[in-house]
Amino acid sequence: MGDSQYSFSLTTFSPSGKLVQIEHALTAVGSGQTSLGIKAANGVVIATEKKLPSILVDETSVQKIQSLTPNIGVVYSIANLYSLCSGMGPDSRVLIRKSRKQAEQYYRLYKEPIPVTQLVRETATVMQEFTQSGGVRPFGVSLLVAGFDDKGPQLYQVDPSGSYFSWKASAMGKNVSNAKTFLEKRYTDDMELDDAVHTAILTLKEGFEGQISSKNIEIGVIGSDKIFKVLTPSEIDDYLQEVE
Amino acid sequence: MSQISESMPPKGGFSFDLCKRNQMLVNKGLKQPSFLKTGTTIVGLVFQDGVILGADTRATEGPIVADKNCEKIHYMAPNIYCCGAGTAADTEAVTDMVSSQLKLHRYHTGRESRVVTALTLLKSHLFSYQGHVSAALVLGGVDVTGPHLHTIYPHGSTDTLPFATMGSGSLAAMAVFESKYREGLTRDEGVKLVAEAICSGIFNDLGSGSNVDVCVITKGKKEYLRNYLTPNPRTYVSEKGYTFSKKTEVLHTKITPLKELVDVIEAGDAMEE
Repeated sequence: MGDSQYSFSLTTFSPSGKLVQIEHALTAVGSGQTSLGIKAANGVVIATEKKLPSILVDETSVQKIQSLTPNIGVVYSIANLYSLCSGMGPDSRVLIRKSRKQAEQYYRLYKEPIPVTQLVRETATVMQEFTQSGGVRPFGVSLLVAGFDDKGPQLYQVDPSGSYFSWKASAMGKNVSNAKTFLEKRYTDDMELDDAVHTAILTLKEGFEGQISSKNIEIGVIGSDKIFKVLTPSEIDDYLQEVE
Repeated sequence: MSQISESMPPKGGFSFDLCKRNQMLVNKGLKQPSFLKTGTTIVGLVFQDGVILGADTRATEGPIVADKNCEKIHYMAPNIYCCGAGTAADTEAVTDMVSSQLKLHRYHTGRESRVVTALTLLKSHLFSYQGHVSAALVLGGVDVTGPHLHTIYPHGSTDTLPFATMGSGSLAAMAVFESKYREGLTRDEGVKLVAEAICSGIFNDLGSGSNVDVCVITKGKKEYLRNYLTPNPRTYVSEKGYTFSKKTEVLHTKITPLKELVDVIEAGDAMEE
């Protein structure tokens, strides 16, 4: 295939007009663990599977959902955790670090918490730079950014290519097509935050291998109080019981 | 690594290029412009459950009072506050910058900030500017290791003390502390002592004045008492009102509202990306 000759250098277009390295990066994301986000009328919820490679791993030390600012949180989707050594989880750490710094610089300059769209745009710019520079490779992660600012609750997805989209509900990773169909059926514009959490859990359950429990999923919510927080395992258990 | 340069704010601070040239001019006999000394009284003390910081609220520009009610107690972290004396711009910029760094540090470590972290960041910044950043600070807070109070001098040296004062009114305030401070004060006794020390600075030092600000920091809680005491209110208002001599009569009255109400129409769709 003519494309393969152009697939190693990310700054070279292939004859079909694609940057093959970025396609590969998106494939890496597509084989990762499922993450999803839902925007409710009064908040946003993001959730992800947290499959650990072995029962010996201390699951409290792994946190896939992080907060970027007090009112913005993020979850990433990567290939399975074995690829931590091939540089995917660490990719997200670099992005999260840069985003936090940018949010802080914005605050110092304007004395205003950074709006969600601005932060997403800055993060996407960073990701794009790594697709158009020498000697670097694209980030192997897609991010789901959830935030609540003056414009209300917002959910964005940022891809390795640097493009970003605003979603009412979105999923990424292994089970993406089933999850999106499920979400399309269940999503309503006037959903409350609690309903959204239940829907998120049900969507994760759809493609879940094994028994879902508070130890192998992570959920982050932001409500009208504009404070992003990651739910504790006991809070997740409560929601799981309500769903049963 | 990145070919595309983002538009970054310029790397701030001093360049020392001109210092050599200034020194050469002084040697040739040119009179250097004098420094504007700003007066202040700032104090801090450690009490039973934590730390209390106090400050006056006068900002001076030479012999003129520039701000009658400015804020000298700056936020550093939810559990750390810092009083600043010296050039107002310097104290504000330095505390702002370190507060920002502490916030990022909290994100990365997931822990509450410690007072010694703030102390080290401040002192290394001030030292690297060799005293040109004219900020004298009283830093106080309560963290996992307990209550702490430090003073930081413009050249970057620090002291750790149970009670401290800085600024032009520091001698007046220190006199009060030295005679009345003892260990194990309660909150009310501590606040009363701090207020007394600041009042001593306000009434006995020209560079300090107006009101007293107090901040009480304890484990897990802080109380910022803005204008805790206002011993200098404006009292005189003439009852008779004011009259003008015959030559000044009102010929024409026109009232222009200072604030125009502008109707904001909802903007169209966001820009296409």
